[in-house]
Amino acid sequence: MRTARFSRGFSDYQIKMAFIMPTMILLILMNIFPLLWSLYLSFHRYKASMPNRPAKFIGPQNYARLLTDPEIWGYFQTTAYFVVLAVITQFIIGFGLALLLNREFRYKGLVTTLILLPMMLSPVVVGLFWRFIFASDASGLVNYLLSPLFGGPIGWTTDPKIAMLAVVIVDTWMWSPFMMLISLAGLSAIPKYLYEAADVDRASQWFKFRWITLPLVSPLLLIALLFRTMDAFKMFDIVYVLTREGGPGIATETVSMNLYKLAFRNYNTGKACAMAYILLIIIVALSNIYVKHLNKVRGEA
Amino acid sequence: MKKLACYFAILMFSVLIIATPSTNAQEKLTIAWAQWDPANYLDELSNDFTAETGIEVDLVQISWSNFQDSVFTAFVGKSDRYDIVIGDSQWLGRNSVGGHYVDLTDWINENIDVDAIYATAMEAFAEYPKGSGKYWALPAEVDANGFLYRTDLFEDADEQAKFKEKYGYELAPPKTYEELRDIAEFFTRPPNLYGIAPWYSKEYDGITMGFQQVMWSYGGSYGDPETYKVEGHINSDDVVAALEYYTSLRAFSPPDAPNYYWAETLDAFKAGKVAMAMDYFAFFPGVVDSNQNPNYYDKTGFFVSPAGPKGHAISIGGQGMSISAYSKNQDIAKRYLKWFMQKPVQEKWAQLGGFTPHEEVLQSEVFLNATPFNKAFAASFPYLRDFWAVPEYAELLEACQTGWNQVIIGSKSAKEALDDIARKHEAIFEDAGYYD
Amino acid sequence: MAQIERSRFGHYVALAVIVVAVLIYLTPIYWIVATSLKSPADIIAQVPQFLFRVTLEHYQKLMPDAVPGLTYVFSAEALIGILACFLPVRNIGFARRFAFLWNGLLILTCLYALATTINYNFLMLSIYTIIVFLLISPQKSTEARRVRLSLVGASVLAIVAICTLFAHGGSKYFHQLLNSIIIGFGSTLLAVGFGTLSAYAFSRFEVAGKEDLLFFILSTRMLPPVVVVIPIYLMYSALGLRDTHLGLILLYTTFNVSFAVWLMKGFIDEIPKEYEDAALVDGYTRFQTFVKVVLPQSVTGIAATAVFCLITAWNEFAFALVLTEVGGRAVTAPPSITSAIGSSGVDWGKIAAATFVFLLPVAIFTFLMRGHLLRGVTFGAVKK
Repeated sequence: MRTARFSRGFSDYQIKMAFIMPTMILLILMNIFPLLWSLYLSFHRYKASMPNRPAKFIGPQNYARLLTDPEIWGYFQTTAYFVVLAVITQFIIGFGLALLLNREFRYKGLVTTLILLPMMLSPVVVGLFWRFIFASDASGLVNYLLSPLFGGPIGWTTDPKIAMLAVVIVDTWMWSPFMMLISLAGLSAIPKYLYEAADVDRASQWFKFRWITLPLVSPLLLIALLFRTMDAFKMFDIVYVLTREGGPGIATETVSMNLYKLAFRNYNTGKACAMAYILLIIIVALSNIYVKHLNKVRGEA
Repeated sequence: MKKLACYFAILMFSVLIIATPSTNAQEKLTIAWAQWDPANYLDELSNDFTAETGIEVDLVQISWSNFQDSVFTAFVGKSDRYDIVIGDSQWLGRNSVGGHYVDLTDWINENIDVDAIYATAMEAFAEYPKGSGKYWALPAEVDANGFLYRTDLFEDADEQAKFKEKYGYELAPPKTYEELRDIAEFFTRPPNLYGIAPWYSKEYDGITMGFQQVMWSYGGSYGDPETYKVEGHINSDDVVAALEYYTSLRAFSPPDAPNYYWAETLDAFKAGKVAMAMDYFAFFPGVVDSNQNPNYYDKTGFFVSPAGPKGHAISIGGQGMSISAYSKNQDIAKRYLKWFMQKPVQEKWAQLGGFTPHEEVLQSEVFLNATPFNKAFAASFPYLRDFWAVPEYAELLEACQTGWNQVIIGSKSAKEALDDIARKHEAIFEDAGYYD
Repeated sequence: MAQIERSRFGHYVALAVIVVAVLIYLTPIYWIVATSLKSPADIIAQVPQFLFRVTLEHYQKLMPDAVPGLTYVFSAEALIGILACFLPVRNIGFARRFAFLWNGLLILTCLYALATTINYNFLMLSIYTIIVFLLISPQKSTEARRVRLSLVGASVLAIVAICTLFAHGGSKYFHQLLNSIIIGFGSTLLAVGFGTLSAYAFSRFEVAGKEDLLFFILSTRMLPPVVVVIPIYLMYSALGLRDTHLGLILLYTTFNVSFAVWLMKGFIDEIPKEYEDAALVDGYTRFQTFVKVVLPQSVTGIAATAVFCLITAWNEFAFALVLTEVGGRAVTAPPSITSAIGSSGVDWGKIAAATFVFLLPVAIFTFLMRGHLLRGVTFGAVKK
């Protein structure tokens, strides 16, 4: 065949380069300019809306001001609170569902696809329609159905104490299916004979779960957690739409919400770039911990 | 299978190559505006321009939520995509200082009869810095904050009698904010009916547009426009009183009110949840339309924003027409602006449903009787006022939005929030060098 | 005995919980669909309306003012094609001739549409149909699966043709939908392609600084998009990539390729090396081994990766908003479907209808790939 002659001369090294290069070139080309541009401007006083005013070098002032601003720290706390709460809830629900779904029954494929539907919607659409569902009076579906339980309608998106919970619920609704899918993939890949062997030994359900299931799926769960944590840090659409730009008050004002205002509304480009780098460093550091741990777990398994 | 994949890859790329843009040589004017009814009216009006000059007009309607982001990124990238931008009054400072708008001062003085245009409109939509006589735009659609009310409730004899008994005066569209609160209280009958739908939302400029007119009417102000001093203005006792008043309406508004801006108040009114609602006049055509508002289209009245104890001021809405500095068709754009400001064109603009800034046209009988709300709109005109239009307006706005919304939801007291806003505003002005 | 009883009881409890969970997950989606079918008054009603008069007015708003006659021809072709897939194949020769005839008909319709509308999408569509056609060409094998595949492929193309017709007829929504299809599937193809190649190289060869490189690939996902938007906008302006299909395809490929590399590397790690070694011994080159041995075994991983890449690209909002121009060539659906404004406030019905139609392609794609999803996303993290 023609292709065969054509590729006969390729060494493993050439194949390796040819296979890796497209990805690396694309990633570098698309990322190098934005990365350098933001790094450069993070040390400058610059507004992209004022292109006729040159960027003025001010050293690490942007970083210093951000890190000493108690409000920004507040946004970081809100973000951390959201990330922890959302990722843990999604993990528990997703993994729990996966444990339930890990059995044979009719329409399993259909059921799995149906549960995945929330993930396939645009986050902005999700925010918009949950506005209706979370309306604070009886016109909201949740209040309509559940107000007898709570003894009255709840201000899901208007009460500063509850709004974050609403955001977490929506994010969980949207992304626990992702956790479910990956957990289920891990669970169904565990060879059956391990359980059969444990059954012979009359092991308890808990023993099987603790010593067979968990160790075997934990690397996969870590990866799922890694991707969810990364995305949760950047979560923006739901607070933008559902709770109206991080409201009520500052109850759901996350760092990425504030970053949007800095970068787009205010065009405080220099400061926004500094903020982005702070966020990037945090996410990179966290991911690094995950990946290290992941490699360790993989090595043990 | 492999061969197939090859074909597929080649085809994919051929699509990409075909899909890359072609150049457009035709003489064409591109206007950017938000997506709403007035833009449709302008689209229709522009057909006349095309008929007259042969120049095609492409009116790009960008949805409100994306309007600002789209237009500003185009400016940042110095894109020649838009020739004319119909932008918010607050944008003037940023886009004139930033060099995105063409300076129209000389051209307007030579070509446009400025005296025919309402001075308030000229100041709000065209001039920056205020009082400098420098023009960057021409007013296109002038809008104001107005009120809707349910005539079936207000004109019910039984309700009128009960109201009179309780408050000692006749039930009628309120003239002052105190009356407004009385009526709101009177009609608050949860869970199905509430008194008023005000703007409380943190979204973009929601609560600011709703509250600032109360603030001005109570004798407060944002600051000194000469020195940019804010302390003692925005946190004065007058403003505290105004904010406490505005927060007190929360008790007479639907539970979801802290999320309300123009879309939500309209929906609440159309659903029959409220007796009165705040909104921009530009959205009122839909309220009297039997398809859009099937339940109350014939039971809706309109009134001018009420006066306060120390004055009467109303938040301005609407946009002015500016020419993009990156446009390659600036001469055609100027021709369009000149054409648009002619009296016959303004008459037609008003007829189609546009809110003209042309004084004579605005006060004409034809305009006043064209819709049930035009009278209220014309009466609002003398009281229109605007937010800061400085390049830093967005930062100033963000401080107000957050602070005021926090008071509404009870996280902060009025005084605390206003002191906070004053501090932030001064820091923003300080940073931008206004005190140097 | 008691043991079995208990576990069967447990099984039913589990199924019941699953049913409840599915209902909870679906309620908001039901709400979107219901909203799209309600009259404006019912949508904003004071109390949620579960029973309502169904109206299709919101869907009509998405369509062009006049529906072109060819729409019915394409619809019939799509419908027949899909229905035919479900028929049992008794006589393979007849099935092939039927598919042959039917594909030919579709090509002719496309060419006719091309002649009448001068819309080059139809040229592309006829070419794609010819490719699908080749699937069942006489010299190839004539297994029933292949015939079915050609029917599915051509039906999909007929549906795309309908979208093109609507877009050509002046429907902004279908213009955006078409762009989303081109950009979404185009970038998915590229991301999965690049990802698979790199994953293979990372999995099978010694790469200097492999862990660091992989982490670098992952880290490109970490920068908040809000900040990247402006520099990318400036870069694209300079390169002339703004508001082009190519620009968005490259961008979404960049977003997705990191995920694709990680997912595919895990999958390829699990494929035993022995098969390849055997093939190499048999005289295959490394490239042939990759194509003939590794790729066929990676289908499951590729399918799962494609689902994730498609979902991300399909729904991307921020860059689509800034990098395309409203009413421009490459504008995709997400920025505009969420902001339908009528003359009196937000047009919730239209938003819901647009959302539902927009959900269908990606949901159907996921459903078709469902068999591969579970085995495809193990990231190689489960040791056998």
